[in-house]
Amino acid sequence: MTDTLTIAGREFGSRLITGTGKYDTFETMRDAVAASGCEMVTVAVRRIDLDARGGGEDITDFLPEELLLLPNTAGCETADEAVRVARLARAGGLPDWVKLEVIPDSRYLLPDPVETLRAAEQLVDDGFTVLPYMLPDPVLARRLEEVGCATVMPLAAPIGTGRGLKLRDAIGIVIEQANVPVVVDAGLGSPSHAADALELGADAVLVNTAIAHADDPVAMARAFRLAVEAGRTAFLAGVMAEGETASPSSPVGGLVTQP
Amino acid sequence: MSATCTVNGREHRLEPGETVARLLERLELGGRFALVERNGEAVERSAYGDVEIAAGDLLVVARPVAGG
Repeated sequence: MTDTLTIAGREFGSRLITGTGKYDTFETMRDAVAASGCEMVTVAVRRIDLDARGGGEDITDFLPEELLLLPNTAGCETADEAVRVARLARAGGLPDWVKLEVIPDSRYLLPDPVETLRAAEQLVDDGFTVLPYMLPDPVLARRLEEVGCATVMPLAAPIGTGRGLKLRDAIGIVIEQANVPVVVDAGLGSPSHAADALELGADAVLVNTAIAHADDPVAMARAFRLAVEAGRTAFLAGVMAEGETASPSSPVGGLVTQP
Repeated sequence: MSATCTVNGREHRLEPGETVARLLERLELGGRFALVERNGEAVERSAYGDVEIAAGDLLVVARPVAGG
């Protein structure tokens, strides 16, 4: 039986989603995306620099067509702004999928739950497949699910911090209660963090800075791919229960040194 | 005096009957992945050749960029 991730009826072989930001060059980004094995990447939407000839380099020239582009609403501080950006992206030919981010706080980049829910409702009504970035609040997760979001995407730690699953217990409750895929997004700093998220039962992870800011982003992308596979396999295999005291792995009888 | 519109905050002198597609061509963005908003409303890609820009219109021309 193949283990695939299904989001809004679309199947993905990979449970790793990557961001395209923060790479030194588009060539490195392209190679890292390929090494990660991911099938969906996020992009931001920005005004074209009219001073650069032809607008400058085009990221879509560096992304294979079979990848699903997931436009984000990064930079939006209100629901109205996020809806506006999502509509612009879709009208111009990007997919009708959107990574919804409504973030009024530049220090910790924590999302506004009220505006996120409001935007999610509008975008779902408008026919979008909505993947909302959120704090791991189980009640908010349920509300986002109720308005029709395709996933919920709780953060592990603030964006770009690489601090790992700081909100592990809360994410565990979101996973336990969710009826849509749970994608842990933001704050994962190393492959072991990603493996941990998958072992906990997350359906997928979204990683950007940890790959882009590695000394060797292409090798790190591969490491994340392996970690996500390992974490998912471990989850399906059933991780053993923790014990309070030691339990010997070798026979306690028949000791060579016994009298 | 010829008519002008605003593109990404900059004044743009319009040709008579200039469409969104023609605007992109004049900005040397023809064939590139350009997303267009006119007076706050997203313009469908399939309509770029039909939508005429009026004097005083506010346009935003955007595109996908690297992001997480």
